[in-house]
Amino acid sequence: MNIIEATGIEKVYNPNKIAVHALNGVDLTIEQGEFTAIVGPSGSGKTTLLNIIGGLDHPTAGSVKVEGTDISTLNDNQLIDFRKEHIGFVFQAYNLIPVLTAKENVEFVMLLQKRSQQERETRSMELLRAVGLEDQVNKRPSQLSGGQQQRVAVARALAPKPTFVMADEPTANLDSKSTANLLDIMARLNKEENITFLFSTHDQRVIDRARRVVTLVDGRIETDETKF
Amino acid sequence: MIFKIAWRNIWRSRTRSIVVILAVMIGIWAVIFMLSFSNGMIESYIDNAIENQISHIQLHNPDFKKDQESQYFIENASGLEDDLRSQVEVESATVRSLATGMLTTSKGQRGVQIRGVQPTSEASVTKLDQKLVEGEYFDPETDNRILVGKSLSEELNLKIRSKVVLAFQSLDGEIIYAAFRVIGMYETDNNAYDESNVFVTQQDLNRLLGKENIGHEAAILLHSLDEIDPVQSRLTESRPDLLVENYAEISPEIELFNTQMQMSSTIIIVIVMLALIFGIINTMLMAVLERYKELGMLMAVGMNKVRVFFMIVLETLMLGLIALPLGMGLGYGTVSYLSKYGLDLSTYSEGMQEFGMSEIVYPTVNSGLYIQLGLAVLITALLGSIYPAFKAIRLRPVEAMRKV
Repeated sequence: MNIIEATGIEKVYNPNKIAVHALNGVDLTIEQGEFTAIVGPSGSGKTTLLNIIGGLDHPTAGSVKVEGTDISTLNDNQLIDFRKEHIGFVFQAYNLIPVLTAKENVEFVMLLQKRSQQERETRSMELLRAVGLEDQVNKRPSQLSGGQQQRVAVARALAPKPTFVMADEPTANLDSKSTANLLDIMARLNKEENITFLFSTHDQRVIDRARRVVTLVDGRIETDETKF
Repeated sequence: MIFKIAWRNIWRSRTRSIVVILAVMIGIWAVIFMLSFSNGMIESYIDNAIENQISHIQLHNPDFKKDQESQYFIENASGLEDDLRSQVEVESATVRSLATGMLTTSKGQRGVQIRGVQPTSEASVTKLDQKLVEGEYFDPETDNRILVGKSLSEELNLKIRSKVVLAFQSLDGEIIYAAFRVIGMYETDNNAYDESNVFVTQQDLNRLLGKENIGHEAAILLHSLDEIDPVQSRLTESRPDLLVENYAEISPEIELFNTQMQMSSTIIIVIVMLALIFGIINTMLMAVLERYKELGMLMAVGMNKVRVFFMIVLETLMLGLIALPLGMGLGYGTVSYLSKYGLDLSTYSEGMQEFGMSEIVYPTVNSGLYIQLGLAVLITALLGSIYPAFKAIRLRPVEAMRKV
């Protein structure tokens, strides 16, 4: 079942001045349970495509449907609500809330979703256990290593039970051990719980673990390979 | 959790938050102190005016008020005084005779208001006997004795037992010259008053004016300011032949002074609050700008604009709410201490006494000010938070997160 259908995506920055065409008619579909990496050289449009699919940016042309909803037509407030319910985010620089503990960070989006305290409590502990941080729940981000912070970010992304998790260069700031550890966790969650992951990455280690690799060059999909 | 985030956020930059809390706290303290100080000055001025000159209520022959001429007197002064004293609200009352004249000594002369008083009742109304700094009060057995102001005595080189001549018009229009001997010198907190008023006994003055048992001015001291209106109304009704006025009507400059002090206090509050608003805007703007990326992330993961706005407003309100009790406590402590021990302004006493104020000011503040100030600080914090909060919600997550 297709959960993401991006059709004819174009993105032009500075259309009235010196126009920069970041995406030139990208068509992409993602099915439930995929573990997909979007790769390509710097400036190829990976992050732009991810931002548009993740509802953080509007395309200049084309449409993005997530579970049948055309998010390219939603306004900013509707997009915020949509992201809250459907999309989990993992950012390159972790971007946890520095004044909250690991557990509170994981609970945060569930709180925005108005989930009950008991549900928040149970799910955040489950997720932190799943990413191997059950003994770090009361630590703030500044007390955790980069790898641990990114694992908290993965737990936070999964907390709202999103349609898919979007990860923008998730391993860019991590050492090899932390990268391997993080990829193991995400691969396990993908396999065991059928969670859909969509990455943008330069990292060969991530590319090696992805089951589908979409290569972007100059804002166009050059190759789209699925490994078996 | 937004409360928790907001609370923890304000302690992320501890020094900056402490500085803004201190600024708000000092602003609140300054407002309380300035207002209580000006209240104290106003009260000192009014109290002095009431105690030394005006009392709470005065009665005059209506024509006397127009021309200040002795011929416009009140008949049966002793009867009036007894009548006034019988009112329950009246603490004390006296009836004086007045004449405008010239005081002459070997050194020079000076225009003065001659106040013919009944020693006992005058002392109970104006405490004239306690204001003597030299000499003694009136002795009912001796005639033609005079009390002069200390500053007038210095100006005219008068000593105890010096002889002075008073010249004034009698009731039948004759100019009277009468010799008096100085028996005492008084000093109030109003130099201008001391230089232009002399006291003799009413018996002496009436005899020289040419009519017994008359007066020109009845002065009433009440137990409380709240009783002025009912007593004034009652007297106006019972004595339609007399002009009954309260202290504010007799001395409109008191009300003017009061209004001016209140206006300047209001202006000072507005200036302090404006300064605080800009201080708060500056602090919160910095807090927003350095958290651009984080705010972008919050919106990316689903925190809507209303919540982001509310969080920034909440952080600002929290800063204000921490500073508010501290500033109020400091202000309350300062005012409590000074209202008990007074603020000694003797360095400026000469200038203050020219305006009829005591050299020791006892600041006072009414409890309503704390409520008004609390509201003012909350409004200030709200106003100060609006621009930074708008700045925060105008962020686009995708752009904010790109910022380093």
